[in-house]
Amino acid sequence: MTAATGSPSDSCALPRPSGRAAGFECRDIRKTFYRNSAFQIQALCGVDLTVAPGDFVTIIGSNGAGKSTLLNVIAGTFSVDGGELLLDGEDISKLPEHARAAFIGRVFQDPRAGTAPSLTIEENMCLALRRGRRRGLHMGVDSSRRQVIRENLCLVEMGLEKRPKTQVAKLSGGQRQAMSLLMATIAEPRLLLLDEHTAALDPKVAATTMELTERVVSARRLTTLMVTHNMELALAYGNRLIMMHAGRIILNVGPTEKKELTVAGLVQKFRDVAGESFTTDRMLLD
Amino acid sequence: MLVTLSSALEQGLLYCFMVLGVYLTFRVLDFPDLTVDGSMTLGASVCAVLIINGASPFLATLAGTASGAAAGIVTGFIHILLKSDSADTNYGPKLISGILTTTALYTVNLRIMGRSNIPLLGETTFFDKLGSMLNVRMVHWPLVATLAVLAVIVKYLLDWFLHTDLGLSMRAIGDNEQMIRSLSVNTSVTRVIGLAVANALVALTGSLVAQQQGYTDIGMSVGVLVAGLAGVILGEAIFGTRSVSWVLFSVIAGSLVYRTLIALGLRVDWIKPTDLKLLTALFVMIALGAPVIRRKLVKS
Repeated sequence: MTAATGSPSDSCALPRPSGRAAGFECRDIRKTFYRNSAFQIQALCGVDLTVAPGDFVTIIGSNGAGKSTLLNVIAGTFSVDGGELLLDGEDISKLPEHARAAFIGRVFQDPRAGTAPSLTIEENMCLALRRGRRRGLHMGVDSSRRQVIRENLCLVEMGLEKRPKTQVAKLSGGQRQAMSLLMATIAEPRLLLLDEHTAALDPKVAATTMELTERVVSARRLTTLMVTHNMELALAYGNRLIMMHAGRIILNVGPTEKKELTVAGLVQKFRDVAGESFTTDRMLLD
Repeated sequence: MLVTLSSALEQGLLYCFMVLGVYLTFRVLDFPDLTVDGSMTLGASVCAVLIINGASPFLATLAGTASGAAAGIVTGFIHILLKSDSADTNYGPKLISGILTTTALYTVNLRIMGRSNIPLLGETTFFDKLGSMLNVRMVHWPLVATLAVLAVIVKYLLDWFLHTDLGLSMRAIGDNEQMIRSLSVNTSVTRVIGLAVANALVALTGSLVAQQQGYTDIGMSVGVLVAGLAGVILGEAIFGTRSVSWVLFSVIAGSLVYRTLIALGLRVDWIKPTDLKLLTALFVMIALGAPVIRRKLVKS
């Protein structure tokens, strides 16, 4: 093995797409919490969504609309009550969470959720590098992996590549979230799920994290679903936008239409469709 | 005094493998594993039965160690059976699975031994065999040196293991289980492997203790888990936790400190050997409780 230590300038090139990005489809996804109790909540009432390979879909909606539930159901944290989840045409809805994680990358809202605090930066990155692969008695951090880890760390321009042996617990929220993003993408997932991943950061850090997200996603051409509360974010990023309300997708905006959409326009659309959806809900319940 | 010290070191080194096992479950896996009280006697029983039936003491020690791994695997599978999907931080199933295995092992150990104790007087033990190979009498300092070499070997093996792909995922389970699952690690299976390694270490102590003291007894490991915790706590507090490699040494040193304290305690007139379990329990309680009480005092 060679001692792989290139100078930082030539190792900071953006990654190239691997062509693994998958097409994804939800068919009539249903999920009810606390079934048969007084607290029964229909979180998803038949969600249909088709995403082409390389699409970056932003998902917007109010509290309790089912956005995060949808991501959790796709990732396998919650099982579905009905419907199919097709990744490149293959139903993944019966696979356990860790098996789906072999091809689905995730970033959570809480910056602490995506990293292991007592492990070092390079150990965390190494764990992410092994996504979907066998984990045996091979040395975790070896020189060739160290090189890949370095290249990825310098993408975030925080100097993390200079201190690979620092414990992650010593990093700031923004640094940890940047690492979470790298860890979600370093092994080229076929689908990337971002669950309000900038919501817990202060505005400035949120902006740089979002900018990093954009760079990584477009460089790797990842199929991405991003949940957000923030209409401006939902409009500024991605090529498609969907709006959820009461467990359903009530608005699906395609690439050309999305480019011209403004926050005001989006609010108006929300009123138009959500108002209508309320009445149908009531009719269904009665 | 020198004899007291050598015997304290001897005990500390004999038990350090068990303390490493307790460190692995309680700290690395965040799994308070109560199998320890059963798996140590299991290792001792298996080892003793093989020795009195004429097996090589090396093989018997190895088999004793392996039996501990089996006990850990059983606890791991009971945990998989009992845990609910959403209860990652729920210690209930973790505690119960260890308690069930330990309780079952009481019967298993009696069955293996066929009675409640097996004397090994006059049998060739691991230490006798090694002593005759090296041409030294395995008592006091030569015994301490042998055990120290063994401890260093095990320490480096464990250190290496915790830095492999498998070992890293194990450490991540105790640190952030949701995260490591979302990186495609099957946490259930990985945890079972961790429990197997930890209880193998505990059973190694069992096998060695039986051969050093010259008998296996069904009650030999009562309360050994709390002694293990005391070793972990002492080691971490005195020698620090700056890295995994370092903390493994800390924990071994903690075992030595604990046994030295015990030896010194026994020199006090009014402390009887039978008081030790109470004193150890009090010590662990104070060590675990002090930070909690301090926080409450600061708040009020």
